[in-house]
Amino acid sequence: MCMRRIQAELSDWLLDPPEGCCLESFEPLMEWVIIMAGPESGAYGPSLYRDDTFRMSVKFSEGYPLEPPEVLFIPPSPVHVHIYSNGHICLDILSDQSRNGGWSPALTISKVCLSLRSMLASSTEKKRPPGDLEYCLRTRNRSPRETRWEFHDTTV
Amino acid sequence: MAAGSPAPAQSSHSGVSAQRGSTCSAEQVESIAANVPSHSGSCYGDAVVDIVALSPAVQNAEVSSRPTDEEIIAQENAIRASEAEKLGFVGDIEPLVALEKEYEAGSEVFVRKIRSLESSYRSMRRTRGDGNCFFRSFIFAYMEVLVATNDLAERNRVVTCLRQWRPKLMETGFQELVFEDALEVLIDQLNSLGTAEPLTVRQLEDNLRDASLSPMIVMMLRMLDSAEIQRRGDFFYPFILGMSDEATTVEQFCRRYVEPMGEESDHVHIVALTDALQVPIRVVYLDRTAMPGEGGSSAVATYDFTPAGCAGTPPRVHLLYRPGHYDVLYPALPAPPSVPAAST
Repeated sequence: MCMRRIQAELSDWLLDPPEGCCLESFEPLMEWVIIMAGPESGAYGPSLYRDDTFRMSVKFSEGYPLEPPEVLFIPPSPVHVHIYSNGHICLDILSDQSRNGGWSPALTISKVCLSLRSMLASSTEKKRPPGDLEYCLRTRNRSPRETRWEFHDTTV
Repeated sequence: MAAGSPAPAQSSHSGVSAQRGSTCSAEQVESIAANVPSHSGSCYGDAVVDIVALSPAVQNAEVSSRPTDEEIIAQENAIRASEAEKLGFVGDIEPLVALEKEYEAGSEVFVRKIRSLESSYRSMRRTRGDGNCFFRSFIFAYMEVLVATNDLAERNRVVTCLRQWRPKLMETGFQELVFEDALEVLIDQLNSLGTAEPLTVRQLEDNLRDASLSPMIVMMLRMLDSAEIQRRGDFFYPFILGMSDEATTVEQFCRRYVEPMGEESDHVHIVALTDALQVPIRVVYLDRTAMPGEGGSSAVATYDFTPAGCAGTPPRVHLLYRPGHYDVLYPALPAPPSVPAAST
């Protein structure tokens, strides 16, 4: 199931990539690297990230799309209140229901990218999450999927 | 859902706050919190961790005593795995007496109610309590009757209905690539009826117990459910309103509480799925409430979900609801017609 689906998403991406994103690598097929341009416009005029470009790592598991992909920014990550220095992202659609998240198999990597760009676009301040340093020390070399997230901010 | 709509998903900055409540004692939290200006809004959990981070002494004490995220997640996974071992996605047929035994030491109301069920139902089939039990019970029970009765007319109807959903799903914003395989799997299984190699109940059991096929079918049903709700948003909106603080639109509700695997089903989900597939079902509610009136406390409440196009059609699927969970029920066979005394 996972290979067919990833292949289908790859074909779809190549025909119609999400705005501001391009695929740097998809070899092996289970590990993509995406380049994302900061959004042009934000909530109140130009976006804070309009001159920035970021790289993202996407890892699919055998359980995809029932399980979410592992998505993180390759440092330097965007300075954003929900993105840690090590690239971990606190976004509900990147966790499944058993971790209080909102991932569903109806989502695709394209849609995840659009959500992330929208998260950047609505940011009004370039700052790190509280406890960034402690978090990064504690999760060194670990996957964001080994973190238990809490989701409560619906604004940014 | 609007395809590609970049509406921000919910996010948060409390990745490190997982230990809230589990390891910080209340006194610790209060004593630490008292020395620090309070965080605004609802971020109490984050504040506690922030303070911990600022204070190396407390941090060290915390780190040594509290389980790490990895340990907690490993434990959660172990619990899920042991639940899975106890019961596959779908169990075997059991007599209702088995259910009665479960409550013998407990609730007398339950036992009385189960006994009163025995005149209408002969047996049951359990499904795993993983949040997908309504969808799995529904599709299993529906297909089992089709297979057992070789009801080709109904099969043709539902296959046509499923094919009509393809464009409707896309109009609702589902990309074809997210549902095409699952839809074909479902249709192929139905189409095998009436061929030289029809689906059997045994294969249906195997399929709905399969680690890959079973979730795929549930996923498909969840998308149909979501699409039905969104296509009739005006009808469903009043029911959705008030069910969640987070989901304020029909689309948000579907994305957050219908499409993700493991989200439990409510009336809204049931109405939408039975309407989407035009399959009438009956749900028998087994709970502690004593029904007033005839039958007294042993009467069991039943509710028929009958799609508008199915008025007068008897339920095709019977489900047993116990708070938080759905299983399949098997109606007792109708009493055999009285046999005239054999003439000699």
